[in-house]
Amino acid sequence: MTPKEMVVTLRDRYADEIETILERYPAEQKRSAVMPLIFMAQREEGYITGSAIDEIAELLDIASTQVVSIVGFYTLFYANPGGMHRIQICTDLPCALRGADEFAEQVCENLGVKLGETTDDGQFTVEAVMCLAACDKAPMFQVQNSSGLTYYECQSADDVNVLVKELRTSPDDLDETVSG
Amino acid sequence: MADQVTLKIDGDVVSVPAGTLIVDAAKSVSNDIPVFCYHPKLDPVGMCRMCLVEVGTPLRDRESGEPELDEHGDQKINWMPKLQTACTVPVSAGMRVRTATQQVTRARKDVVEFLLTSHPLDCPVCDKGGECPLQNLTMSHGSGESRYLFDEKIQLQKRVPLGELIFLDRERCIQCARCTRFQDELVGEPVIGFDKRGRALQIVTFSEPGFDSHFSGNTTDICPVGALTTADFRFGARPWEMQHTPSICPHCTVGCNTHLNTRRSGMVGGTVIKRVMPRQNEKVNEIWLCDKGRFGHHFAGSSDRLTVPLVRKDGRTIEQSWEHVLPLVAAKLAAADGEVAGIAGERLSNEDLFCFQTLVEGLGGRTMQWPGRMGGGDLVQQVGVGAGTDLAQLGAETVILVVASDLAEEAPLWWFKVRQAATKAGATLNKHPASLVVANARDTKLDRYANHIVRYSYGDEVQTVQALTHAISGDGAGIETGIDAQHNPLLSEVARAIEAAENMIIIYGSEGLDFSGSGALAQACANLLIASGHVGGVGNGLLPVWPSNNTQGAWDMGVRPAGMSVSEFTSGAKVVLLAGADPVGDGESLPEDAFVVISELFKTDTASRADVVLPAQAFVEREGSYTSGDRRVQRFYPALPALGDAMPDWNIFVRLTALLGLGTVPAGAGAVMRQIAADVPRYDGISYERLADVEEQWPHVGGRDSYYGGTAFENSAGLGLQTPTLAEMGHQVQPGNVEPPSVESGEFLVVPITLLYDRGSMLLRSKIMHQRLPEPYIELNVVDAERAGVGAGDRVALRVNGHDWEMATRVSTSPPEGVILFPRSLAGPLLPRTMVASLRKLES
Repeated sequence: MTPKEMVVTLRDRYADEIETILERYPAEQKRSAVMPLIFMAQREEGYITGSAIDEIAELLDIASTQVVSIVGFYTLFYANPGGMHRIQICTDLPCALRGADEFAEQVCENLGVKLGETTDDGQFTVEAVMCLAACDKAPMFQVQNSSGLTYYECQSADDVNVLVKELRTSPDDLDETVSG
Repeated sequence: MADQVTLKIDGDVVSVPAGTLIVDAAKSVSNDIPVFCYHPKLDPVGMCRMCLVEVGTPLRDRESGEPELDEHGDQKINWMPKLQTACTVPVSAGMRVRTATQQVTRARKDVVEFLLTSHPLDCPVCDKGGECPLQNLTMSHGSGESRYLFDEKIQLQKRVPLGELIFLDRERCIQCARCTRFQDELVGEPVIGFDKRGRALQIVTFSEPGFDSHFSGNTTDICPVGALTTADFRFGARPWEMQHTPSICPHCTVGCNTHLNTRRSGMVGGTVIKRVMPRQNEKVNEIWLCDKGRFGHHFAGSSDRLTVPLVRKDGRTIEQSWEHVLPLVAAKLAAADGEVAGIAGERLSNEDLFCFQTLVEGLGGRTMQWPGRMGGGDLVQQVGVGAGTDLAQLGAETVILVVASDLAEEAPLWWFKVRQAATKAGATLNKHPASLVVANARDTKLDRYANHIVRYSYGDEVQTVQALTHAISGDGAGIETGIDAQHNPLLSEVARAIEAAENMIIIYGSEGLDFSGSGALAQACANLLIASGHVGGVGNGLLPVWPSNNTQGAWDMGVRPAGMSVSEFTSGAKVVLLAGADPVGDGESLPEDAFVVISELFKTDTASRADVVLPAQAFVEREGSYTSGDRRVQRFYPALPALGDAMPDWNIFVRLTALLGLGTVPAGAGAVMRQIAADVPRYDGISYERLADVEEQWPHVGGRDSYYGGTAFENSAGLGLQTPTLAEMGHQVQPGNVEPPSVESGEFLVVPITLLYDRGSMLLRSKIMHQRLPEPYIELNVVDAERAGVGAGDRVALRVNGHDWEMATRVSTSPPEGVILFPRSLAGPLLPRTMVASLRKLES
């Protein structure tokens, strides 16, 4: 253990936000804040680090294992690092009938990855996901990144190429108002 | 008593308390509804769907509310359109349940088939095979053949360590959550949990060390498949090829009932203990065991056990036979002219202690309990907790006061039960928790569940309890106290709670107190119980957290602490006779010119100093009885053959007694108990036969119904008997004088504390526990640490009693300022009491 090592904690970085989140719940039920805190922590690295898990557990006076359980249960929480932008393509039955499988294949080919993999520059991960409730607008996907979730409907592989270019060149210029 | 509800299950009319679940109601008429996720000690979740039944309720007329009748005059039943889980539906008046219809049979078959879709069916190599609910329920409810191809089964990791004690086989897990719910509801330590979902779901631990709980082994008992196994028993034996011997855990004062499973081992070339399992005794350990009890048994089978008598001759030790050595010892004892000092350990059985006391007394000598650092045994005999008390069942009418004890470390199952009383978590019809008061100088694990936490300074234990008595007695009744409860809002609130409570139990320990200090605390507690009228009944009285398993038995047999050092006690003695005691190892000295005789399991420091060393049998090789802190006398039985020439301690003493012409040799341990019953007050009527009495207990365990309650063993060997207290016998018990102890002052006060996992001779010989045993450390407050310039992990030299001891440092907010917590039995000096010390940081 190296206690003198400088570790930037969530508390150092997001003191105000943590306080605001905790204020939403009664003090004796502060464990209820676990979801927004995990969501906040994920913004930092795109996934929940081990130290973030311990810190959230400590903040809420629950066991680290309980935080891990919640991260594991929800598909939008990640326990492992991925790309800065996660392209999540719905491949459930109705979307598949509208060509989602071929679409996903093309997107992967254009980015040079397989489903579930991340591009070499660490920018994009392509994932197949379950129903996103937009069956009539397939092929569709959502992008999950530090700005939140954004839906893209009635897409073609070319549309994705354009989007990828936009996201790659100006990751900071993303309009925050479109976040879900 | 809850209201009774009457319903009909198949053909049986059943009457059960309101709130009872259908599955338990059916169990009461021997209708075994199969379950996997349901456990009678846990809150129901209805996850596995195995217990599906048909449920109907009487149809009532909407206007009149009267039951509707059919043409035959029978009640019309409104059957629910779908099957219901019997484990989540509570009974209601007039309810009808059908458990044997075609629909139910079909549902059970389908659920089993579903659970087996990806189960590996590796029963031939599975530790659970032979006592497995999944195996048994598949045989009784499942389909004869599988519609699934083996190749289609998902392959998962079969050896996932959840820490080094418990292993997970992911393929076998059926996701019932019994293990995670046990840890969450009944232990309050959710250190294992579910990760991911569906087929990907697995049990994970994120604690450090993995599965960091004193109760982890219990999850392997209640796991309905072979997913969780212990490192101790993994691939160790098949359940059906082992012998079963009822026993009593020798580790702490709770006296958990156990079963020793033994089998011949080719590797060892003899019979060995394969595993220690809980044996049901609802008033003591229910169906649980702590991990120390489960895994800390290896000392008995250790290869360094003594097997032959040893005699020192011209500076050398030589092996001797009993025929030679006993007359030699007898001659020395006879020649001592009564100058015999007897020192007996608190771990010995009642039979050993009684025969030891009889021998030394017969010689005109004196005895001493070792270490004998805690007082109050005589008060426990007077106002001890009422017979029949079940700590976990105590409810709103009861105040539980825990003072000067870290219960979680000193008596794990009592901690478990007190927590249960204070939270009413898990399955219980009584949802009104007892009121818990925890009084200690530092944080302990029990604080989390306390209604009131009383913080005193070390040294103020006795005064704090006296202040409560003072507040209750009103006028003070001549009680001297340095603490004024009247003007202390917290103490007066506690006093009011005690006055209002119907029942009260005081659990007292000896943290920060020596023999006389803890004796004074016991007296102060007894006075409080007497003043508030809480003695002599169930749910009332004094419960001592003794440092050893049979300390109470030692008090009862007349082997009491001497209240002085060993050198003072043995001064002038011509013969020192020791049994199961190692004072030399704890830094005490014996007189140079005395002839020293010892009976022991191991070659301890004292045994190395002795002139004669007599090999004693371990508890697993012999019969005997222990008396726990709640005065429950319990029998243990021989599980292994005798080791070498070793003899039970009691047998050594009665042979010496006979050789000296002081008595005859009883026929066996049972005959010794008859003598105890005749000679020892309050033991009259106790016999081995009566100690073996049992009665029906809830829940059913032990395989009668496919291990519904887990693999804990059914108790068919005895629930034990509690000796009556004077208060229970109708005596008027008077409060006594209390002399509060004085506290030294110095730079730091070193306070010895007790850890469950220490480096004592028993756990050190159980290698499986080694990773859990901490390196020697001291713990101090953050403020003190800063002042002394030491940080967490730093090496320090602790100067106490003129010696320097090198230790690691832990820093926390738990110890009060100016106090160094010093865990016992890790290394270094045995501190008989709190002492002053100084601290110096060592350069790394």
